[in-house]
Amino acid sequence: MSEEIFEELANAVINCKADLSKAAAQKALDAGVNPVEAINEGLVKGMNVIGDKYAAHQIYLPQVLVAAHAMYAGLDLLLPAIPKEDLADAKKAATCVVEGDVHDIGKNIVKTMLTAGGYIVNDLGKDVPPATIADTVKNEGIDILCMSTLMTPTMDNMKNTIDLLKEQGTRGNCTVTIGGPPTSPSFAEEIGADHRDNNAQDCVNWLKGQ
Amino acid sequence: MVAPMTPYERAIAAIQNEPVDELASSPLALALCRRLMPEKVTYKEWATNPELCAESFAKGVEHWKFPYTVTLIDLSITASTLGAHVRMDTENTPFVDDHIIHDMEDYDKIVCPDITKGRTGDLIDMNRRLAPMIKGKSFNIAFLEGPLLTLTQAGGAERVFMDMFSDPAPVHKALGETTKLCLETCEKIAETGAEGFCWDYLWGNYACLGDPEYAEFEGDKYAKACNDKVRELGMGLGIHNCADLPHLDTQVKKFGVDMYSMAYYPLIPGSPTAAEVIEQGYGDKCLMMGNIDPQLFVRGSVEQITKVTADLCQEVKTALCKKGLNSRYCISSGCEVPPDLETKLENVDAVMAAVSQYGKM
Repeated sequence: MSEEIFEELANAVINCKADLSKAAAQKALDAGVNPVEAINEGLVKGMNVIGDKYAAHQIYLPQVLVAAHAMYAGLDLLLPAIPKEDLADAKKAATCVVEGDVHDIGKNIVKTMLTAGGYIVNDLGKDVPPATIADTVKNEGIDILCMSTLMTPTMDNMKNTIDLLKEQGTRGNCTVTIGGPPTSPSFAEEIGADHRDNNAQDCVNWLKGQ
Repeated sequence: MVAPMTPYERAIAAIQNEPVDELASSPLALALCRRLMPEKVTYKEWATNPELCAESFAKGVEHWKFPYTVTLIDLSITASTLGAHVRMDTENTPFVDDHIIHDMEDYDKIVCPDITKGRTGDLIDMNRRLAPMIKGKSFNIAFLEGPLLTLTQAGGAERVFMDMFSDPAPVHKALGETTKLCLETCEKIAETGAEGFCWDYLWGNYACLGDPEYAEFEGDKYAKACNDKVRELGMGLGIHNCADLPHLDTQVKKFGVDMYSMAYYPLIPGSPTAAEVIEQGYGDKCLMMGNIDPQLFVRGSVEQITKVTADLCQEVKTALCKKGLNSRYCISSGCEVPPDLETKLENVDAVMAAVSQYGKM
């Protein structure tokens, strides 16, 4: 029974069907399937297929976005059903586009791949001030911070955020990655970030290797 | 050995693959030109005041002797005219912060507005002022977001991409209207004396769309109409696409452009170098423009950017020679030179000087 439901969940994501994802998630809950297993063996497996196909240029951004939408439709039902103690070991990540910019497709893909990677993601959204990001890291015990920007004039807000993390004494507890076309590994090094990547899948793989 | 040419003569020759005295060189220093004005001009003033904007571009031509002037202001011009709200910070590139598509019915509400008003009106006005100032000095290339970029800017890229997959009919209807907007604006700008017209077809890249998707949502119908319009109006046809992995076969070969501006991403597998685009035959078709890293203008030293430019000149000259081409490459910046206050004007000076020294043909 569980295997069948896992397959339904995975296929709902692969086929970009939010309604089927939601129905399969409800079926899992009704059948008493462990929601963590339903997420990992169903939704995440489906999203990983999508991620691999995207990385191989077999599918493109529209399909990825719609598949992610399907994954979230299932997650919306399954996540609240997870007992808190089961999440104790999961790493917490925060994603954001820094203040002064609102281009968030890349950030949203990172958020999706982190979620598919088993992280608990707090998406702070776009145009987020450094103080908000730093306070979130401090108050929520964020383990991984992923910042992005598309626009050069706002790059300094990545550095300002890292400086605030240092001031608040949380930098050492948090891995910081950055992304976005104007950024580079040398810029990451210059501002004191741990990593910069070209795409979400590679970034999550790098984080898992840490 | 070709006799010394004026920048304008070089611009024309390079498009036509005629021999040139040195490689053409036009980094996309656009809003940066405002910093050449005698009085301080903020980004916001530059982007919203056609007179100041035109004067700034003319100052750029005067100071840097650019053979080509691409009149890109920002990528929210057409979206703004469609009704999207644009946030104008004092010293930041304007961007859309409130989209106009919130549900599927909103696609139906998109209609081509009066393009002589709003930001497209300002753009037309700016081009009208600029054309006589740079006539015969710099090849004047007007710039506009293409139909799909217009829609994603106005409606929100994520939303539009998802709807392209899930419910394409309303998206196509809206694209029909954004195409109208593009065509009408193009017609008005052609009247100002622009010699070339460059479309931004940003989404034609393999990180975002495959060939069939790009063909369906821009290439086959909407971009074709835009390209045909530029030809019909007697202007040179240009495309700017600074995304990674652009659809070069479609946008260069199939569209049959005269100028193609692109960026190089050394960290992205498959991103072609300047030599590779020439070797792969794209320079046979049109003037390719690229690909100094724009960030180098902010973070590099004069020595660093001079070396990068010298190396690029050598790479390009060797590749052109191997292909039997005379001149079909323009040393440029791949994307806009960051308009920040921290960008070093002397780095643009250094690129122009380095091309004069190392780009001799």
